[in-house]
Amino acid sequence: MSEEPKLEEIEFAENPEPRCPCVLLLDTSSSMSGSAINALNQGLQTFKDSLTQDDLASRRVEIAIVTFDSKVNVVQDFVTADQYEPTSLSAGGATAMGTAIVTGLDMVQNRKTQYRENGITYYRPWIFMITDGEPQGEAKEIIDQAAQRIKTEEENKSSAFFAVGVEGANMDKLQAIAARAPVKLNGLNFGEMFVWLSASMQRVSHSKVEEQVDLPPLGWGTV
Amino acid sequence: MGVEKTQIVIPARSNRWKVSATSVCGSSHEKLGTPCQDASFWSIQENDIFIAAVADGAGSATHSDMGAQLASRTAVETLQAEPDLESRLHNNPNTFKTILTTALKAALSAVKKEAKTQGIKPRELASTLIVVIATPQVVATAQIGDGAAIIQTQDNDLIALTTPDSGEYINQTTFLISPGALKTAQLHIWHGKPTHVALFSDGLQMLALQMPFGKPHAPFFTPLFKFISAAGETASVQLTSFLQSPRVKERTDDDLTLLLAALMDDTHETENQI
Repeated sequence: MSEEPKLEEIEFAENPEPRCPCVLLLDTSSSMSGSAINALNQGLQTFKDSLTQDDLASRRVEIAIVTFDSKVNVVQDFVTADQYEPTSLSAGGATAMGTAIVTGLDMVQNRKTQYRENGITYYRPWIFMITDGEPQGEAKEIIDQAAQRIKTEEENKSSAFFAVGVEGANMDKLQAIAARAPVKLNGLNFGEMFVWLSASMQRVSHSKVEEQVDLPPLGWGTV
Repeated sequence: MGVEKTQIVIPARSNRWKVSATSVCGSSHEKLGTPCQDASFWSIQENDIFIAAVADGAGSATHSDMGAQLASRTAVETLQAEPDLESRLHNNPNTFKTILTTALKAALSAVKKEAKTQGIKPRELASTLIVVIATPQVVATAQIGDGAAIIQTQDNDLIALTTPDSGEYINQTTFLISPGALKTAQLHIWHGKPTHVALFSDGLQMLALQMPFGKPHAPFFTPLFKFISAAGETASVQLTSFLQSPRVKERTDDDLTLLLAALMDDTHETENQI
Protein backbone atom coordinates (compact mmCIF):
# COMPACT_ATOMS: atom_id res chain seq x y z
CA MET A 1 0.00 0.00 0.00
CA SER A 2 1.29 3.48 -0.80
CA GLU A 3 2.58 5.83 1.87
CA GLU A 4 1.47 8.95 0.01
CA PRO A 5 -0.91 11.24 1.83
CA LYS A 6 -4.48 10.31 1.11
CA LEU A 7 -7.00 12.93 0.24
CA GLU A 8 -9.67 10.26 0.48
CA GLU A 9 -9.91 10.87 4.20
CA ILE A 10 -12.19 13.78 3.33
CA GLU A 11 -14.80 11.05 2.84
CA PHE A 12 -15.24 11.14 6.62
CA ALA A 13 -16.33 14.79 6.46
CA GLU A 14 -18.82 14.02 3.70
CA ASN A 15 -20.09 10.95 5.47
CA PRO A 16 -19.62 11.08 9.25
CA GLU A 17 -21.81 8.01 9.88
CA PRO A 18 -20.40 5.31 12.14
CA ARG A 19 -18.72 2.61 10.07
CA CYS A 20 -19.28 -1.09 10.01
CA PRO A 21 -16.27 -2.59 8.18
CA CYS A 22 -16.52 -5.93 6.39
CA VAL A 23 -13.57 -7.57 4.65
CA LEU A 24 -14.25 -10.36 2.17
CA LEU A 25 -11.36 -12.80 1.73
CA LEU A 26 -12.13 -14.64 -1.50
CA ASP A 27 -10.42 -17.76 -2.76
CA THR A 28 -9.62 -17.30 -6.46
CA SER A 29 -7.38 -20.36 -6.83
CA SER A 30 -7.71 -22.49 -9.96
CA SER A 31 -10.25 -24.88 -8.40
CA MET A 32 -12.69 -21.97 -8.14
CA SER A 33 -12.69 -21.40 -11.91
CA GLY A 34 -15.81 -21.99 -13.95
CA SER A 35 -19.23 -22.02 -12.34
CA ALA A 36 -17.95 -21.29 -8.82
CA ILE A 37 -16.26 -18.00 -9.69
CA ASN A 38 -19.25 -16.98 -11.83
CA ALA A 39 -21.61 -17.63 -8.94
CA LEU A 40 -19.30 -15.72 -6.61
CA ASN A 41 -19.22 -12.72 -8.99
CA GLN A 42 -23.01 -12.70 -9.15
CA GLY A 43 -23.07 -13.00 -5.37
CA LEU A 44 -20.98 -9.84 -4.98
CA GLN A 45 -23.47 -7.91 -7.08
CA THR A 46 -26.29 -9.28 -4.91
CA PHE A 47 -24.35 -8.12 -1.83
CA LYS A 48 -24.07 -4.58 -3.15
CA ASP A 49 -27.71 -4.46 -4.29
CA SER A 50 -28.97 -5.81 -1.03
CA LEU A 51 -26.97 -3.40 1.13
CA THR A 52 -27.87 -0.34 -0.90
CA GLN A 53 -31.57 -1.00 -0.44
CA ASP A 54 -31.01 0.21 3.10
CA ASP A 55 -30.02 3.90 3.18
CA LEU A 56 -28.19 3.82 6.49
CA ALA A 57 -26.43 0.51 5.80
CA SER A 58 -25.26 1.78 2.44
CA ARG A 59 -23.46 4.64 4.17
CA ARG A 60 -22.31 2.67 7.23
CA VAL A 61 -21.20 -0.70 5.91
CA GLU A 62 -17.75 -0.58 4.37
CA ILE A 63 -16.62 -3.33 2.03
CA ALA A 64 -13.04 -4.37 1.30
CA ILE A 65 -12.16 -7.30 -0.93
CA VAL A 66 -9.00 -9.37 -0.82
CA THR A 67 -8.55 -12.25 -3.24
CA PHE A 68 -6.04 -15.03 -2.74
CA ASP A 69 -4.60 -17.45 -5.26
CA SER A 70 -0.83 -17.77 -5.72
CA LYS A 71 -0.65 -14.26 -4.36
CA VAL A 72 -2.81 -11.94 -2.35
CA ASN A 73 -4.50 -8.96 -4.01
CA VAL A 74 -6.40 -6.15 -2.38
CA VAL A 75 -8.88 -5.71 -5.22
CA GLN A 76 -11.01 -3.28 -3.25
CA ASP A 77 -9.87 -1.15 -0.31
CA PHE A 78 -12.57 -0.05 2.15
CA VAL A 79 -15.48 1.78 0.54
CA THR A 80 -19.00 2.30 1.79
CA ALA A 81 -21.55 0.06 0.11
CA ASP A 82 -23.00 2.95 -1.91
CA GLN A 83 -19.54 3.54 -3.48
CA TYR A 84 -18.74 -0.11 -4.10
CA GLU A 85 -18.74 -1.32 -7.70
CA PRO A 86 -18.17 -5.07 -7.99
CA THR A 87 -15.52 -6.06 -10.51
CA SER A 88 -15.43 -9.45 -12.15
CA LEU A 89 -12.97 -11.82 -10.49
CA SER A 90 -11.18 -14.62 -12.31
CA ALA A 91 -9.59 -17.73 -10.85
CA GLY A 92 -6.22 -19.45 -11.21
CA GLY A 93 -3.20 -20.48 -9.13
CA ALA A 94 -2.52 -21.80 -5.61
CA THR A 95 -4.19 -20.84 -2.30
CA ALA A 96 -2.26 -18.26 -0.23
CA MET A 97 -4.92 -18.31 2.49
CA GLY A 98 -2.68 -17.58 5.49
CA THR A 99 -1.21 -14.46 3.90
CA ALA A 100 -4.69 -13.31 2.92
CA ILE A 101 -5.95 -13.69 6.49
CA VAL A 102 -3.07 -11.66 7.89
CA THR A 103 -3.62 -9.03 5.18
CA GLY A 104 -7.31 -8.79 6.03
CA LEU A 105 -6.66 -8.50 9.77
CA ASP A 106 -4.02 -5.81 9.18
CA MET A 107 -6.39 -3.87 6.93
CA VAL A 108 -9.00 -3.88 9.65
CA GLN A 109 -6.55 -2.60 12.27
CA ASN A 110 -5.34 0.17 9.95
CA ARG A 111 -8.88 1.14 9.13
CA LYS A 112 -9.73 1.43 12.82
CA THR A 113 -6.75 3.78 13.26
CA GLN A 114 -8.07 5.90 10.38
CA TYR A 115 -11.52 6.02 11.97
CA ARG A 116 -10.08 7.12 15.29
CA GLU A 117 -7.84 9.76 13.70
CA ASN A 118 -10.84 11.18 11.87
CA GLY A 119 -13.24 11.03 14.79
CA ILE A 120 -15.40 8.33 13.25
CA THR A 121 -17.12 5.85 15.52
CA TYR A 122 -17.39 2.25 14.40
CA TYR A 123 -18.78 -1.21 14.96
CA ARG A 124 -16.86 -4.42 15.40
CA PRO A 125 -15.30 -5.37 12.05
CA TRP A 126 -16.22 -8.59 10.28
CA ILE A 127 -13.88 -10.70 8.17
CA PHE A 128 -15.64 -13.17 5.96
CA MET A 129 -13.54 -15.78 4.17
CA ILE A 130 -14.81 -17.98 1.35
CA THR A 131 -12.75 -20.91 0.07
CA ASP A 132 -13.19 -24.20 -1.72
CA GLY A 133 -9.91 -25.69 -0.59
CA GLU A 134 -7.21 -25.29 2.02
CA PRO A 135 -3.96 -23.32 2.29
CA GLN A 136 -1.62 -24.32 -0.50
CA GLY A 137 1.84 -23.14 -1.45
CA GLU A 138 2.47 -21.42 1.89
CA ALA A 139 4.82 -22.19 4.77
CA LYS A 140 3.15 -23.78 7.79
CA GLU A 141 4.31 -20.89 10.00
CA ILE A 142 2.27 -18.42 7.97
CA ILE A 143 -0.88 -20.48 8.44
CA ASP A 144 -0.19 -20.99 12.14
CA GLN A 145 0.42 -17.29 12.55
CA ALA A 146 -2.86 -16.50 10.78
CA ALA A 147 -4.79 -18.93 13.00
CA GLN A 148 -3.19 -17.46 16.11
CA ARG A 149 -4.08 -13.92 15.02
CA ILE A 150 -7.71 -14.92 14.48
CA LYS A 151 -7.83 -16.53 17.91
CA THR A 152 -6.32 -13.49 19.65
CA GLU A 153 -8.55 -11.02 17.84
CA GLU A 154 -11.67 -13.02 18.61
CA GLU A 155 -10.69 -13.12 22.27
CA ASN A 156 -10.05 -9.36 22.35
CA LYS A 157 -13.20 -8.77 20.30
CA SER A 158 -11.01 -6.83 17.85
CA SER A 159 -12.78 -8.42 14.92
CA ALA A 160 -15.09 -11.31 14.12
CA PHE A 161 -13.84 -13.93 11.67
CA PHE A 162 -16.18 -16.18 9.70
CA ALA A 163 -15.11 -18.96 7.34
CA VAL A 164 -17.33 -20.42 4.62
CA GLY A 165 -16.38 -23.62 2.80
CA VAL A 166 -17.58 -24.22 -0.74
CA GLU A 167 -17.90 -27.84 -1.97
CA GLY A 168 -14.41 -29.35 -1.84
CA ALA A 169 -13.19 -27.21 1.05
CA ASN A 170 -11.23 -28.91 3.79
CA MET A 171 -13.67 -28.17 6.61
CA ASP A 172 -11.40 -29.70 9.27
CA LYS A 173 -8.60 -27.40 8.22
CA LEU A 174 -10.95 -24.40 8.26
CA GLN A 175 -12.11 -25.40 11.71
CA ALA A 176 -8.50 -25.43 12.86
CA ILE A 177 -7.81 -21.97 11.42
CA ALA A 178 -10.98 -20.10 12.36
CA ALA A 179 -12.00 -19.80 16.00
CA ARG A 180 -15.69 -20.03 15.08
CA ALA A 181 -17.20 -23.09 13.46
CA PRO A 182 -16.94 -22.79 9.65
CA VAL A 183 -20.11 -22.92 7.58
CA LYS A 184 -20.49 -25.28 4.63
CA LEU A 185 -22.15 -23.56 1.69
CA ASN A 186 -25.03 -25.45 0.06
CA GLY A 187 -23.95 -25.95 -3.55
CA LEU A 188 -23.04 -22.60 -5.07
CA ASN A 189 -25.67 -20.66 -3.19
CA PHE A 190 -23.61 -17.47 -2.98
CA GLY A 191 -26.68 -15.36 -3.72
CA GLU A 192 -28.47 -16.39 -0.56
CA MET A 193 -25.24 -16.26 1.44
CA PHE A 194 -24.64 -12.64 0.45
CA VAL A 195 -28.25 -11.69 1.18
CA TRP A 196 -27.68 -13.15 4.65
CA LEU A 197 -24.37 -11.30 5.04
CA SER A 198 -26.05 -8.08 3.98
CA ALA A 199 -28.90 -8.62 6.45
CA SER A 200 -26.39 -9.38 9.20
CA MET A 201 -24.37 -6.26 8.45
CA GLN A 202 -27.57 -4.23 8.45
CA ARG A 203 -28.46 -5.59 11.85
CA VAL A 204 -25.01 -4.85 13.20
CA SER A 205 -24.96 -1.36 11.69
CA HIS A 206 -28.35 -0.58 13.24
CA SER A 207 -27.62 -2.12 16.58
CA LYS A 208 -27.05 -0.55 19.91
CA VAL A 209 -27.14 -3.70 21.85
CA GLU A 210 -24.15 -4.27 24.10
CA GLU A 211 -22.23 -6.50 21.75
CA GLN A 212 -24.50 -9.41 21.07
CA VAL A 213 -26.38 -9.16 17.80
CA ASP A 214 -28.75 -11.96 16.90
CA LEU A 215 -27.92 -12.96 13.36
CA PRO A 216 -30.52 -14.10 10.85
CA PRO A 217 -30.83 -17.88 10.48
CA LEU A 218 -28.42 -19.57 8.08
CA GLY A 219 -30.56 -20.68 5.17
CA TRP A 220 -27.65 -21.14 2.81
CA GLY A 221 -25.33 -23.52 4.60
CA THR A 222 -24.69 -25.73 7.56
CA VAL A 223 -22.36 -25.42 10.50
CA MET B 1 -44.70 6.26 13.59
CA GLY B 2 -45.34 5.74 17.27
CA VAL B 3 -45.02 8.71 19.55
CA GLU B 4 -44.77 8.36 23.23
CA LYS B 5 -44.72 11.27 25.58
CA THR B 6 -44.34 11.34 29.30
CA GLN B 7 -45.26 14.69 30.67
CA ILE B 8 -46.54 15.54 34.05
CA VAL B 9 -47.44 18.78 35.71
CA ILE B 10 -46.58 19.48 39.29
CA PRO B 11 -48.25 22.73 40.36
CA ALA B 12 -45.69 25.22 41.56
CA ARG B 13 -46.41 28.63 42.91
CA SER B 14 -43.89 30.58 40.93
CA ASN B 15 -42.53 28.54 38.12
CA ARG B 16 -39.90 29.74 35.71
CA TRP B 17 -39.11 26.46 33.94
CA LYS B 18 -40.55 25.75 30.54
CA VAL B 19 -40.21 22.10 29.60
CA SER B 20 -40.92 19.86 26.67
CA ALA B 21 -40.09 16.18 26.42
CA THR B 22 -40.62 14.22 23.23
CA SER B 23 -39.87 10.63 22.30
CA VAL B 24 -40.36 9.19 18.86
CA CYS B 25 -39.98 5.61 17.78
CA GLY B 26 -37.07 4.87 15.45
CA SER B 27 -37.61 3.44 11.98
CA SER B 28 -35.57 0.33 12.81
CA HIS B 29 -37.89 -0.36 15.74
CA GLU B 30 -40.87 0.04 13.47
CA LYS B 31 -39.35 -2.44 11.05
CA LEU B 32 -38.74 -4.99 13.78
CA GLY B 33 -42.07 -4.26 15.45
CA THR B 34 -40.47 -3.40 18.79
CA PRO B 35 -42.00 -0.66 20.94
CA CYS B 36 -40.35 2.69 21.62
CA GLN B 37 -37.84 1.85 24.31
CA ASP B 38 -36.98 5.40 25.35
CA ALA B 39 -38.63 7.07 28.31
CA SER B 40 -38.47 10.42 30.03
CA PHE B 41 -39.92 11.82 33.21
CA TRP B 42 -39.72 15.24 34.78
CA SER B 43 -41.03 17.36 37.56
CA ILE B 44 -40.79 20.92 38.83
CA GLN B 45 -40.52 21.50 42.55
CA GLU B 46 -40.94 24.64 44.57
CA ASN B 47 -38.18 27.24 44.30
CA ASP B 48 -37.64 26.47 40.63
CA ILE B 49 -36.03 23.09 41.12
CA PHE B 50 -36.27 21.10 37.95
CA ILE B 51 -35.73 17.34 38.08
CA ALA B 52 -35.66 15.18 34.98
CA ALA B 53 -34.55 11.78 33.74
CA VAL B 54 -34.17 10.13 30.35
CA ALA B 55 -33.67 6.39 29.91
CA ASP B 56 -33.00 4.42 26.74
CA GLY B 57 -34.00 0.77 26.82
CA ALA B 58 -31.63 -1.82 25.35
CA GLY B 59 -32.73 -3.01 21.93
CA SER B 60 -31.91 -6.61 22.81
CA ALA B 61 -33.89 -6.69 26.05
CA THR B 62 -37.47 -7.96 25.96
CA HIS B 63 -38.92 -5.53 28.53
CA SER B 64 -36.58 -2.58 28.17
CA ASP B 65 -39.43 -0.16 27.42
CA MET B 66 -40.78 -0.95 30.87
CA GLY B 67 -37.30 -0.83 32.40
CA ALA B 68 -36.65 2.61 30.91
CA GLN B 69 -39.92 3.99 32.22
CA LEU B 70 -39.41 2.53 35.65
CA ALA B 71 -35.83 3.76 35.93
CA SER B 72 -36.57 7.32 34.83
CA ARG B 73 -39.69 7.61 36.96
CA THR B 74 -38.07 6.16 40.07
CA ALA B 75 -35.03 8.44 39.76
CA VAL B 76 -37.23 11.56 39.52
CA GLU B 77 -39.53 10.48 42.35
CA THR B 78 -36.58 9.69 44.60
CA LEU B 79 -35.15 13.16 44.06
CA GLN B 80 -38.56 14.75 44.59
CA ALA B 81 -38.52 13.27 48.08
CA GLU B 82 -35.09 14.73 48.91
CA PRO B 83 -35.33 17.79 51.18
CA ASP B 84 -33.53 21.14 50.60
CA LEU B 85 -32.06 20.04 47.31
CA GLU B 86 -30.83 23.42 46.16
CA SER B 87 -29.05 24.47 49.34
CA ARG B 88 -27.51 21.04 49.87
CA LEU B 89 -26.21 20.96 46.30
CA HIS B 90 -25.01 24.53 46.37
CA ASN B 91 -23.39 24.69 49.77
CA ASN B 92 -21.68 21.38 50.25
CA PRO B 93 -19.23 20.31 47.53
CA ASN B 94 -19.73 16.60 48.12
CA THR B 95 -23.44 16.11 48.66
CA PHE B 96 -24.28 16.05 44.98
CA LYS B 97 -22.62 12.66 44.59
CA THR B 98 -24.60 11.22 47.46
CA ILE B 99 -27.86 12.71 46.25
CA LEU B 100 -27.42 11.55 42.66
CA THR B 101 -26.21 8.11 43.69
CA THR B 102 -29.30 7.72 45.86
CA ALA B 103 -31.45 8.28 42.78
CA LEU B 104 -29.46 5.81 40.67
CA LYS B 105 -29.55 3.18 43.41
CA ALA B 106 -33.29 3.60 43.86
CA ALA B 107 -33.79 3.19 40.10
CA LEU B 108 -31.65 0.07 40.08
CA SER B 109 -33.50 -1.50 43.02
CA ALA B 110 -36.84 -0.71 41.41
CA VAL B 111 -35.74 -2.41 38.20
CA LYS B 112 -34.40 -5.46 40.03
CA LYS B 113 -37.57 -5.72 42.09
CA GLU B 114 -39.72 -5.49 38.97
CA ALA B 115 -37.66 -8.21 37.31
CA LYS B 116 -38.27 -10.44 40.31
CA THR B 117 -42.01 -9.72 40.27
CA GLN B 118 -42.18 -10.54 36.58
CA GLY B 119 -39.96 -13.59 36.93
CA ILE B 120 -37.47 -12.34 34.35
CA LYS B 121 -33.79 -11.51 34.43
CA PRO B 122 -32.90 -7.88 35.28
CA ARG B 123 -31.10 -7.63 31.92
CA GLU B 124 -34.49 -7.88 30.18
CA LEU B 125 -35.21 -4.46 31.75
CA ALA B 126 -31.85 -2.98 30.72
CA SER B 127 -31.70 0.74 30.03
CA THR B 128 -29.33 3.66 30.25
CA LEU B 129 -30.19 6.47 32.67
CA ILE B 130 -29.51 10.21 32.67
CA VAL B 131 -30.67 12.28 35.63
CA VAL B 132 -30.54 16.04 36.12
CA ILE B 133 -31.34 18.44 38.95
CA ALA B 134 -31.31 22.05 37.75
CA THR B 135 -31.95 25.15 39.85
CA PRO B 136 -31.21 28.84 39.25
CA GLN B 137 -27.96 28.33 41.16
CA VAL B 138 -26.67 24.90 40.26
CA VAL B 139 -27.03 21.93 37.90
CA ALA B 140 -26.14 18.37 38.93
CA THR B 141 -26.19 15.40 36.57
CA ALA B 142 -25.68 11.66 36.69
CA GLN B 143 -25.40 9.33 33.73
CA ILE B 144 -24.98 5.63 33.13
CA GLY B 145 -24.49 4.68 29.48
CA ASP B 146 -24.85 6.81 26.38
CA GLY B 147 -26.81 9.94 25.52
CA ALA B 148 -25.82 13.21 27.20
CA ALA B 149 -26.84 16.18 29.34
CA ILE B 150 -26.11 19.66 27.97
CA ILE B 151 -26.61 23.10 29.48
CA GLN B 152 -26.43 26.59 28.08
CA THR B 153 -25.01 29.31 30.31
CA GLN B 154 -25.90 32.99 30.65
CA ASP B 155 -23.00 33.70 28.28
CA ASN B 156 -24.52 31.38 25.67
CA ASP B 157 -21.81 28.78 26.18
CA LEU B 158 -22.84 25.19 25.63
CA ILE B 159 -21.43 22.74 28.15
CA ALA B 160 -21.72 18.96 28.04
CA LEU B 161 -22.08 17.91 31.68
CA THR B 162 -21.95 14.27 30.64
CA THR B 163 -20.78 12.53 27.50
CA PRO B 164 -21.85 9.26 25.88
CA ASP B 165 -20.18 6.28 27.50
CA SER B 166 -19.50 3.70 24.84
CA GLY B 167 -16.77 1.12 24.48
CA GLU B 168 -14.51 0.78 21.45
CA TYR B 169 -17.56 0.06 19.33
CA ILE B 170 -20.41 2.49 18.92
CA ASN B 171 -23.03 -0.15 19.75
CA GLN B 172 -21.55 -0.97 23.14
CA THR B 173 -22.66 0.83 26.23
CA THR B 174 -23.24 0.38 29.95
CA PHE B 175 -26.73 -0.17 31.30
CA LEU B 176 -28.10 0.53 34.76
CA ILE B 177 -28.25 -3.22 35.41
CA SER B 178 -24.74 -3.91 34.04
CA PRO B 179 -22.37 -5.28 36.71
CA GLY B 180 -20.61 -2.38 38.44
CA ALA B 181 -22.65 0.21 36.51
CA LEU B 182 -23.00 2.55 39.49
CA LYS B 183 -19.23 2.81 39.70
CA THR B 184 -19.05 3.91 36.06
CA ALA B 185 -21.69 6.63 36.57
CA GLN B 186 -20.64 10.10 35.48
CA LEU B 187 -21.51 12.49 38.30
CA HIS B 188 -21.08 16.20 37.68
CA ILE B 189 -22.01 19.48 39.25
CA TRP B 190 -21.93 22.90 37.65
CA HIS B 191 -22.39 26.03 39.71
CA GLY B 192 -24.14 28.94 38.09
CA LYS B 193 -27.42 29.89 36.51
CA PRO B 194 -28.27 27.87 33.43
CA THR B 195 -30.54 29.30 30.76
CA HIS B 196 -31.30 25.92 29.23
CA VAL B 197 -30.96 22.22 29.89
CA ALA B 198 -31.18 19.39 27.36
CA LEU B 199 -31.17 15.65 27.92
CA PHE B 200 -31.22 13.27 24.99
CA SER B 201 -30.88 9.59 24.22
CA ASP B 202 -28.11 8.21 22.02
CA GLY B 203 -30.28 8.26 18.90
CA LEU B 204 -29.57 11.99 18.64
CA GLN B 205 -25.84 11.79 19.31
CA MET B 206 -24.91 11.96 15.64
CA LEU B 207 -26.76 15.27 15.28
CA ALA B 208 -26.29 16.84 18.69
CA LEU B 209 -22.66 16.12 19.44
CA GLN B 210 -19.39 16.25 17.61
CA MET B 211 -18.61 12.57 17.95
CA PRO B 212 -16.61 10.89 19.30
CA PHE B 213 -15.52 13.88 21.39
CA GLY B 214 -18.95 14.58 22.82
CA LYS B 215 -18.77 18.34 22.27
CA PRO B 216 -22.21 19.96 21.93
CA HIS B 217 -23.00 20.96 18.38
CA ALA B 218 -24.06 24.62 18.46
CA PRO B 219 -26.03 24.51 15.17
CA PHE B 220 -28.19 21.86 16.79
CA PHE B 221 -28.75 23.36 20.24
CA THR B 222 -28.85 27.10 19.55
CA PRO B 223 -32.06 27.00 17.48
CA LEU B 224 -33.66 24.40 19.75
CA PHE B 225 -32.99 26.44 22.88
CA LYS B 226 -34.29 29.61 21.21
CA PHE B 227 -37.32 27.64 20.18
CA ILE B 228 -38.14 26.32 23.64
CA SER B 229 -37.73 29.78 25.22
CA ALA B 230 -40.20 31.28 22.78
CA ALA B 231 -42.41 28.22 22.35
CA GLY B 232 -46.15 28.25 22.73
CA GLU B 233 -48.82 25.58 22.75
CA THR B 234 -47.69 23.85 19.58
CA ALA B 235 -44.12 23.25 20.79
CA SER B 236 -44.62 19.55 21.41
CA VAL B 237 -46.16 19.00 18.00
CA GLN B 238 -43.36 20.93 16.36
CA LEU B 239 -40.65 19.03 18.21
CA THR B 240 -42.25 15.73 17.32
CA SER B 241 -42.38 16.63 13.66
CA PHE B 242 -38.77 17.82 13.80
CA LEU B 243 -37.67 14.47 15.28
CA GLN B 244 -39.69 12.66 12.61
CA SER B 245 -38.45 14.82 9.73
CA PRO B 246 -36.40 13.28 6.91
CA ARG B 247 -33.33 15.33 7.83
CA VAL B 248 -33.27 13.71 11.26
CA LYS B 249 -34.39 10.28 10.09
CA GLU B 250 -31.73 10.05 7.41
CA ARG B 251 -29.09 10.26 10.14
CA THR B 252 -30.54 7.80 12.61
CA ASP B 253 -33.02 4.95 12.79
CA ASP B 254 -33.02 4.65 16.57
CA ASP B 255 -35.62 5.77 19.09
CA LEU B 256 -35.13 9.44 19.86
CA THR B 257 -35.81 11.34 23.05
CA LEU B 258 -35.21 15.03 23.47
CA LEU B 259 -36.02 16.80 26.69
CA LEU B 260 -35.60 20.57 26.58
CA ALA B 261 -35.98 23.00 29.46
CA ALA B 262 -35.60 26.77 29.58
CA LEU B 263 -35.22 28.79 32.76
CA MET B 264 -37.15 31.98 32.07
CA ASP B 265 -36.40 35.40 33.56
CA ASP B 266 -38.25 36.33 36.75
CA THR B 267 -40.54 38.65 34.82
CA HIS B 268 -41.91 35.81 32.71
CA GLU B 269 -44.35 33.84 34.74
CA THR B 270 -45.03 30.84 32.58
CA GLU B 271 -47.02 27.68 32.14
CA ASN B 272 -44.52 24.85 32.49
CA GLN B 273 -46.50 22.41 30.41
CA ILE B 274 -46.12 23.14 26.73
